[in-house]
Amino acid sequence: MAILIGVIVSDRPLPRADLTFSNGTDITTLDLQRMSWTQDLRMARIIAEGLVANDVFDPEYRVIPAVAERWEISDDRREYRFFLREDAKWSNGTPVVAGDFVYAWRRAVLPDSAADYYTFFEYIDGVAAFFNWRNEALHEFAESTAEMSPTERAAQAQLLWEETERRFAEGVGIEIVSDRELVIRLARPIPFFLDLCAFPTFYPVYPPLVKQYEQLDPETGRIISEGGWTKPPQLVCNGPYEITVWRFKRDIRLEVNPHYWNKDSLNIRTISAPSIADPSAQVLAYQTGAVEYVADVTAPFRREMVALKNEYYREHAEELERLRELGLDPYEIDRRLPADPRQDVHVTPAFGTYFWNFNCMAKLPDGRENPLADSRVRRALAMMIDKRIITDEVRGLGEPVARTLIPPGSVGGYPTPEGLPCLSDCTTEEERRALINRSKALLAEAGYPDPTKMPTIELEFNKNSGHDLVAQSIAKNWQETLGLPIRLAQKELSVFRDDLKKHNFMTARAGWYGDYPDPLTFLEINRTGDGNNDRAFTNAVYDGLLDASYDEPDVAARAALLFEAERMLMEDEVPMVPIFHYCDVRMFDAHKLSGPNPHPRSTENIFLFDILGDGVGTDEVRSMPARSMGKGRGS
Amino acid sequence: MIALIVRRLVQLPLIVGVIYTLTLVLAWAVPGNPLENPEGRKPPESVMAAMKAQYNLDSFPKFYFSYLDSASGLRWARDTASGRAAEQAQAARDAGLVPRPRPIFDLGPSLKHRDERVAGILAGALPVSVSLGILAILIAVAVGVTAGVVGAVKPNSFADMATLIVALIGISLPSFVIGTLFVLVFGVWLALLPVGGWGTVSQMILPAVTLSLPFAAYIARLTRMGMIDTLNSDYVRTARAKGVAEREVLLRHALKNAFLPVLSYLGPATALAMTGSFVVERVFNVPGLGQHFVDAVQNKDLFLIIGVVLVFSTMLVLLNLAVDVLYRWVDPRIG
Repeated sequence: MAILIGVIVSDRPLPRADLTFSNGTDITTLDLQRMSWTQDLRMARIIAEGLVANDVFDPEYRVIPAVAERWEISDDRREYRFFLREDAKWSNGTPVVAGDFVYAWRRAVLPDSAADYYTFFEYIDGVAAFFNWRNEALHEFAESTAEMSPTERAAQAQLLWEETERRFAEGVGIEIVSDRELVIRLARPIPFFLDLCAFPTFYPVYPPLVKQYEQLDPETGRIISEGGWTKPPQLVCNGPYEITVWRFKRDIRLEVNPHYWNKDSLNIRTISAPSIADPSAQVLAYQTGAVEYVADVTAPFRREMVALKNEYYREHAEELERLRELGLDPYEIDRRLPADPRQDVHVTPAFGTYFWNFNCMAKLPDGRENPLADSRVRRALAMMIDKRIITDEVRGLGEPVARTLIPPGSVGGYPTPEGLPCLSDCTTEEERRALINRSKALLAEAGYPDPTKMPTIELEFNKNSGHDLVAQSIAKNWQETLGLPIRLAQKELSVFRDDLKKHNFMTARAGWYGDYPDPLTFLEINRTGDGNNDRAFTNAVYDGLLDASYDEPDVAARAALLFEAERMLMEDEVPMVPIFHYCDVRMFDAHKLSGPNPHPRSTENIFLFDILGDGVGTDEVRSMPARSMGKGRGS
Repeated sequence: MIALIVRRLVQLPLIVGVIYTLTLVLAWAVPGNPLENPEGRKPPESVMAAMKAQYNLDSFPKFYFSYLDSASGLRWARDTASGRAAEQAQAARDAGLVPRPRPIFDLGPSLKHRDERVAGILAGALPVSVSLGILAILIAVAVGVTAGVVGAVKPNSFADMATLIVALIGISLPSFVIGTLFVLVFGVWLALLPVGGWGTVSQMILPAVTLSLPFAAYIARLTRMGMIDTLNSDYVRTARAKGVAEREVLLRHALKNAFLPVLSYLGPATALAMTGSFVVERVFNVPGLGQHFVDAVQNKDLFLIIGVVLVFSTMLVLLNLAVDVLYRWVDPRIG
């Protein structure tokens, strides 16, 4: 009884925050260099700030100053000189200096840290060599010190660490000119390095804090880093907000960082992110007013919610069309339509594509001939899919049908190739027949005049997330149009992954989200020997186009090279057939909340949110300026 | 009585030690690598090996003894005695930082949630589960005993049948059905109570009631049977013959004896209510211990599995001790 009263008295809830949002799943880690999950990245952007940021209200996601007030790029586009602002401060009041960034970046490139996004740093000169050297050295350390006494080992570990520090300082293209000037030299010129700097893995950590949790392990010679420094009251951060309360599986509460240089621009004083594990409960929390924003709606009934929204749009069809003509962003359109609870679910294109892999190897691992090794067969099959049925009926979210790997309009200045037509592009029965005949002709050319006598085509998938339904839909298309013999192969997730890595499949479900704003983030996965090239696709011309793009200084010429690579991939070679572009599903009332942006790269800067009409902040709507993104996209 | 308490408390570490060994053996045998992130990128082989070494996951004996060392508080005592802990804390304060928390019983890090320590997770979740459990048992006793007495006074009457049916529903309907129903009715339709969360009294009502139902039903049946037995006994007849008021007979004479079976049930029931509230926690989004039990096993989060098991077993041992002590106090014949 005493415990009960004690708990009720001591565990009193905090007053309601200005903004409460559901961050999807629980945080995995807020260690900036080791994170990779969406919910972690979303939180990281609230509490930390990098050298630069993306302007999320700009249709091109233009890079704007953050901790760096300005920067210079050398003529060979390989040297970046950042000038840090004087008033950038940590939450304990000490200034943010160039060394803080270098310390964080060194953590990311030490193999000791096992950073998920290490490869982003390989664009910096000397990083790959440093990483490999350290990895080798740790190996050797384990072998050469096996017989030593503990004291000798510790001394050796210390020596190795000093050597590591020296090699990093001398061999890696990162130079601290002064506390406020930082120079980065790249291994090869890339046009998206500034965008990488806006990514949380590149944000700084407070070295005196992190050092307390790091120690040299004499056993292995590694730097061991423990978690825990990311929690209040220990955490020192440099972002707009700082964490004041973090109760595991319960909530995270944030308040304005009093030392943040740009705190006058913030429109909310407190943010709360309660942990709601159940996807349906997240929607319920929104509907009962407990949260104002659901970042990731995964409830099983979300397709019904989307259907209701479409019904609402049909009721306001005329006004909707008029607003779309104006080129407004979809959230702004909702804001100008009458408020309605059905309106609050938002399906927004994301920077990712769902596709179906074709194995390109001449023979399958079990020795069978692989009919898909012939690009004509791949092209024939790619056209015989009704993608619209998959998005509208099977999945029910109505995602944009994909003809290309890279979502159109997601990368500024990059034109999208045409891609292959598919069954759902046919409006008349005649067109449909013509497309089927075209597909049959390709098969005949490839040596299969009678498709019913082809070797059995297998479709492999793991059973979750409705992949089985998509596979059945595709199988039905192939059977009905070409009469192909089909076998569906459902695998357990780990077996499925293993099969992909070993190229032990004929066709298989797949998906890819872009990591950085450049066509290469999608195209590199088809390079010969790439770790994510599950299709075993290899083409010297394609690889050559990618290589050439790195050395092409002219933006338009480079875009043309990459365009040709994607065109070749999507129209001629077809190692995969894109089905649809992924969408994010969010919940919020556009009339009450400003700040989310509908850009496909979907960087959510929650610290820019504003509850409209609450009297805190400017209460002014921020949206993307009118432009071409309204028509044919969104909704 | 004192001897009993002392004996049990001496046994406690031994019991917990045996449970620790068994749990670790079983958890160690679970296939799969707890450090592997099924959906993330895979670190290089050498890094993975070194990470295993960091947590002593590469050697069973190494893990066994190092965990025992820190979980038992020995390491804490050593660091405190040597002054190393004070030194580190001072160094942190000098650097303008908040020193790291230093739990006496350090149950290790969580392998899945890298920012958390198991001791911290349990310290946050335990009070929630304990108070939810106690609240549920209090409700169950109040509701169950009342219903049982009503039923026993007029067996086979309408009131008895009604309580029987309610009890049947309470026992047989799983809490995820009742809980969801409560959310729908009281949370969404009537909008009387919040649908989830923890902290305010209003947030505690629905989960506590849901959790209490099967216990209340069982207590009602136990009370009813006990009451019917005692109401037919000689001393009750004597009391009535002496002209004692019926109310007095029921509450002072009959209920006191009829309550004994309920009391013996309360020990395991309280333990179950505190530890077995996983489903209720999920439905009402209550940040208690039960969810960690299931999540930890699913994630192969070795440290968290052991930590939760150790806390649960300690609680069970202590609750059983409490019931034994209470029992002797109520019925001195038991010795």
